[in-house]
Amino acid sequence: MNVDITDLTRRFGRNQAVAGVDLQAGPGVFGLLGPNGAGKTTLLRMMATVIPPTSGRLRLLGCDPGAYGPRRDVRRRLGYLPQNLGYYPGFTVVEFVEYFALLKEMPAARVPAAVATAVERVDLGGRAKAKLRTLSGGMLRRVGIAQAIVNEPELLLLDEPTAGLDPEQRVAFRALLRDLGQRATVVVSTHLVEDVGAACSEVALMDQGKIVFHGTPAELTARGTEHGTGDAPLERGYTAVLAAARS
Amino acid sequence: MSGPRHELPSDVDLSRVWTSVAAQVWRRQPGWLERAAGRLLRSPGLARALLTTPSLLLPWLIASAVVLAAGAAATLGSGQPIVALLAPGVAAAAIAYSYGPGVDPAWELSCSMAVSDRMVLLVRALAVFAVNAVLGLAASAVSAAWVVPAASGVAAASGAAAAVTFGWLIPMTAVCAFALAVATLARSANAGAAAAVAAWLIIVLSGRVASGHFAAAVTATVLFLPYLAIGVTCAAVAVFATRIPRGTYR
Repeated sequence: MNVDITDLTRRFGRNQAVAGVDLQAGPGVFGLLGPNGAGKTTLLRMMATVIPPTSGRLRLLGCDPGAYGPRRDVRRRLGYLPQNLGYYPGFTVVEFVEYFALLKEMPAARVPAAVATAVERVDLGGRAKAKLRTLSGGMLRRVGIAQAIVNEPELLLLDEPTAGLDPEQRVAFRALLRDLGQRATVVVSTHLVEDVGAACSEVALMDQGKIVFHGTPAELTARGTEHGTGDAPLERGYTAVLAAARS
Repeated sequence: MSGPRHELPSDVDLSRVWTSVAAQVWRRQPGWLERAAGRLLRSPGLARALLTTPSLLLPWLIASAVVLAAGAAATLGSGQPIVALLAPGVAAAAIAYSYGPGVDPAWELSCSMAVSDRMVLLVRALAVFAVNAVLGLAASAVSAAWVVPAASGVAAASGAAAAVTFGWLIPMTAVCAFALAVATLARSANAGAAAAVAAWLIIVLSGRVASGHFAAAVTATVLFLPYLAIGVTCAAVAVFATRIPRGTYR
């Protein structure tokens, strides 16, 4: 298992953002659904080794990221797209992706080809030398995805990756996700259920810091056949599970 | 335009060829400073992180040089050790703004990188300190050469330069470490810079009240040990504040 989480919690003062999560994930695309404030981003940040858990057990790519050496090893094999991607306005697309490739300690000789591949995969080849300050929100999101996949990560964590993408780009991105999921564990946090239906082989639904559903998109859809509300079958499953969890 | 058309061999992967071409066309050649830093630090990533202190590198260098040059000029005019009084505050502000969530737009992303954020912080802080020390040394040498007449000899001028340099170098170490400790604890560069500059002002003004001289904070040798103790303590606090607690992942 690339992700092995047992009873993971994270507190911020009195607020318990993640409350005893158990999760195992192997290769494939794993969707993390939930309303705003459910704890998805906090869980993803712990998996990205940005913040440590308050308690619980977290193993990533077979390593314990609590110690310096294994954490560094995990980070070399990790791709992460934060919800709020900060960027350097004066950098070009290539400079930005290259910078993070170097910070991931990729061998310097491999970096130019890896950067070109990543930039082409997100369809930004035509803007490769453009300064980031000249790009649209959707393009910046794709730059973020490019830096996340530049090292061909074994564990890819994407927080709201389709925010700001137009429908055509979202379709292309889902195809990219499916392709990446053939070799790596891709965890996608989103509140857009259609992304999950189109790209994910497994899905977990979080609410109030806990996982209230874990299964396939088809199983989630099945939960909504009688009680759910929404326009799409998966949305009805989503609302039905949330309603059941809160009742 | 017409010309002979060549059929492409069927085993040529055009996208692969294009990627190889793009890699060569797009690649950024690092400058000599980055190459030297990469060799010194044995990490191209750390070298790039050192030299891309986002949008701050050039303004900080210019500001430090201007302030210390102005200090040297003021010292020449007044005979007061203005450089020594300015250097700790200038360096402390620069240290506080060298790294952190409010300063680095991509800080969240940087925290998930193999090149650890603590190493980036350490290298940037050392670089800021080193550059300010060099600028301060130059300003001190100019001031000392002016204060000690050439007729007194090179040895006297050297002695004066050493005294002046140590006068601000040790307080600068303490104030920089204090700025770093507050900035990392409060996770705010503004808080670090403000606290350090305020602390330095208090020390200078206290020295003025106690001894009647503005320069007491940098000339009273009795203060050197307390400065060093503060520096070591604050550095330990900064190291503690940037740790990831062991055992929490288990």
